[in-house]
Amino acid sequence: MIEVLIDLIRYFLSILKSNQLDIPLIKPIIALIMKIVAQIPIPYLSNLVDLILAVILWRPLFAVVVMPGLTVLMIYLLYIVWFERKLTARIQWRVGPLEVYRPLRGAIQALADGIRYLFQEAIVHKDAHRPYFVQLPILAFIPVLLPIAFIPAGNVVGIKSPYAVQLTIAFISLIPITVIAIGWASNSRFAFIGSVREALMYVAYEIPFIVAAISMIFLYKSGDPYIIVENQWIPGAILNPLAFLVFLIAMLMATSRLPFEIPEADQEIAFGPFVEYSGILFGLVMVLAYEKLYVMALLFTILFLGGWNGIYISLLGDLNAPIWLTIKTIVVISIIAMVRSMYARYRIDQAIRIGFSWLLAFSMVALAIGVVIGYEGGI
Amino acid sequence: MKEIAIDVPVEPPKELESLFLPIPKEYVEEVYRNDEFLILVGPQHPGSGHMRLIVRVKGDVIQEVIPDPGYVHRAIEKIAETRLYVQNIPLVERPAIMDSANLNLGYVRAIEDGMDLEVPERAKYLRTILAELCRIGTHLYDAAILSVFLGHTTGFMYPFGIRELICESLVKMTGARFTSSFIIPGGVRRDVSKEILDWIYSATFAIEKRLRSFERLFIKNPTVVARLKDVGVLSKKEAIEFGVVGPFLRASGVEYDVRKVEPYEAYDKVDWDIVVADDGDSYSRFLVRVNEVAQSLKIIRQCIAEIPGGKVISDQICEGNDIRGEFFEKLAGIVLPAGEFTTLTEAARGSVIYTIVSDGESNVPYRLRVVTPGWLYLRGFMESLKGERLADLQAIYGSFGYFPPEADR
Repeated sequence: MIEVLIDLIRYFLSILKSNQLDIPLIKPIIALIMKIVAQIPIPYLSNLVDLILAVILWRPLFAVVVMPGLTVLMIYLLYIVWFERKLTARIQWRVGPLEVYRPLRGAIQALADGIRYLFQEAIVHKDAHRPYFVQLPILAFIPVLLPIAFIPAGNVVGIKSPYAVQLTIAFISLIPITVIAIGWASNSRFAFIGSVREALMYVAYEIPFIVAAISMIFLYKSGDPYIIVENQWIPGAILNPLAFLVFLIAMLMATSRLPFEIPEADQEIAFGPFVEYSGILFGLVMVLAYEKLYVMALLFTILFLGGWNGIYISLLGDLNAPIWLTIKTIVVISIIAMVRSMYARYRIDQAIRIGFSWLLAFSMVALAIGVVIGYEGGI
Repeated sequence: MKEIAIDVPVEPPKELESLFLPIPKEYVEEVYRNDEFLILVGPQHPGSGHMRLIVRVKGDVIQEVIPDPGYVHRAIEKIAETRLYVQNIPLVERPAIMDSANLNLGYVRAIEDGMDLEVPERAKYLRTILAELCRIGTHLYDAAILSVFLGHTTGFMYPFGIRELICESLVKMTGARFTSSFIIPGGVRRDVSKEILDWIYSATFAIEKRLRSFERLFIKNPTVVARLKDVGVLSKKEAIEFGVVGPFLRASGVEYDVRKVEPYEAYDKVDWDIVVADDGDSYSRFLVRVNEVAQSLKIIRQCIAEIPGGKVISDQICEGNDIRGEFFEKLAGIVLPAGEFTTLTEAARGSVIYTIVSDGESNVPYRLRVVTPGWLYLRGFMESLKGERLADLQAIYGSFGYFPPEADR
């Protein structure tokens, strides 16, 4: 019996080993670990450690779980909450989060908040549609996290697809539905108004957003991120600046950030669709917009900023691409975080007017530019 | 556009009966029969202050707003009847603590009116400086509330940061950040040294400098202009009809300021202009107050430059120049002659009216009537909301700087 199991494991190992990350930097470290483990007299331990390392360094899993996937996403969430608060505080003549571990200038404030959410009571009020109310914050993660499987970083990729850009856009378009459902399940007046506002905002940004992305697909003549990145010896932002602008504004609208923080307006409808949530459920819905921002920024980096193109450091090997993609994405998000302290909130009709007038017009012009450049075969 | 309607009978929600709303049951039924509904904004809503607004909306458009104030009613008029005239001074400045000096000034002037007290020139200048400092503080506070209502958190923090300079000036002058009760019948409590006045003089420039960055970030911000422009318009005629006062009246194009019409203290001796706007919308209501801050700074600088020497307390009250140590002795026994004494003062948010009715023999007022600006412009505020969108409610609220504790007294 045990032999069959070991054979099975060997078989898996051979599959994993065939698609390993090649990182010269950590090769001596792995060798050292294996050497130490070999001296510990526990049967099969060295095989087990080998398996674990092989699993971690298996390319598809590494892309989804480590970088640019979930681990980086978690670190990014901790970072962006802190960075946003600290930056806003600096602009507003304040100090910002500081007391949660002073040597790091309050950098783990978000972690402390997360722990607090975890231990708080998650109240489900009487009028809520209980099963949906509890399930939806978790279900909402499906469209938010699935695109990460399709977004490649160099040869580190979860699921390789020539339609990765289109797939990502499709998943992003699904997110508002979960938010609307959350508002409906809350069965509260403010949540209801918030849901309707979310739906209206969705109408406002969706068409320009998709048209801007399609213009880039026309420009590169493909929805395959590899071809897109390969073609970007000039960044897409310079090739089609209008699409860049439209995508950026649509990103602000889609993640309900100021000046388009309309579905969640604190002063008007008290956090909109999420007004009834508390405890860890609130923690989950709160990070939803940040995760959406991360996925959109990944797409933005691939389409407009040359994806994982960067200075190649031979010591990092395969890790180069994910690192460059992550750095670019986080820089984009950090710049977007700055907008928060600069603008007031638009009214919903003004936001829709922006979406349907000049944002749509700009996206159409961007589409024309994309078609022309793509047709000429300039790049 | 053709309106599609389904004839479904809608029951008014039960909670509208149990909340003791100041509206008849028939009104609620009529609203729901007309395919409209009532939204209760406040008193716990983040954007309402201590009052309830019963908003009748059709879709997203406000049809009518019925205010339900009184949540912070503190019966100041009634309490005043049980206290000595001089004990009422700290009481009457409580309605609007940011604007304490102006409210204090109005009450003290009513007493001086009754007792025929002559106030020394230096005290008049000091009172003017105090009143204008409080005016700036109030306008900054209102600007901060307006910004946070629009979701602009930086616009919230800046005015509060700038207001620290005002508070510091008040601390140096009077010893308290606000509600200093510094103005007393016959003058002010004590003299203010030249060093402190010089400090305030230079502080006005610091305020001006910081206000410029506030202007760049908030006042001229395109999103702010988009939210406030052409929203909550009160025409000149409407503003007069609804009895709007203060900067909100001037924003509708009426050139009326008590400080110019019936000058008190040192306002006729300094050079300043009435700030007027023509549009009558939320943005001009905001801009008028922003420009009034500049005028107030100008007044303060002139007052400090031209302040005369001499006593700060009237000879009729105290022989020396310092009332400390004999305050109670000199002022507790004040009895006003029989009659009614009314003063009109321009507080930051508009005219404040004090009427003292005295029976001529007791050392407490027979009746004290306080009408604060908030109460006077509440009607205009409610009328300006009609026909606007629900999201504009907060913008218009902020543009009026409505302060429930002040209105409810």
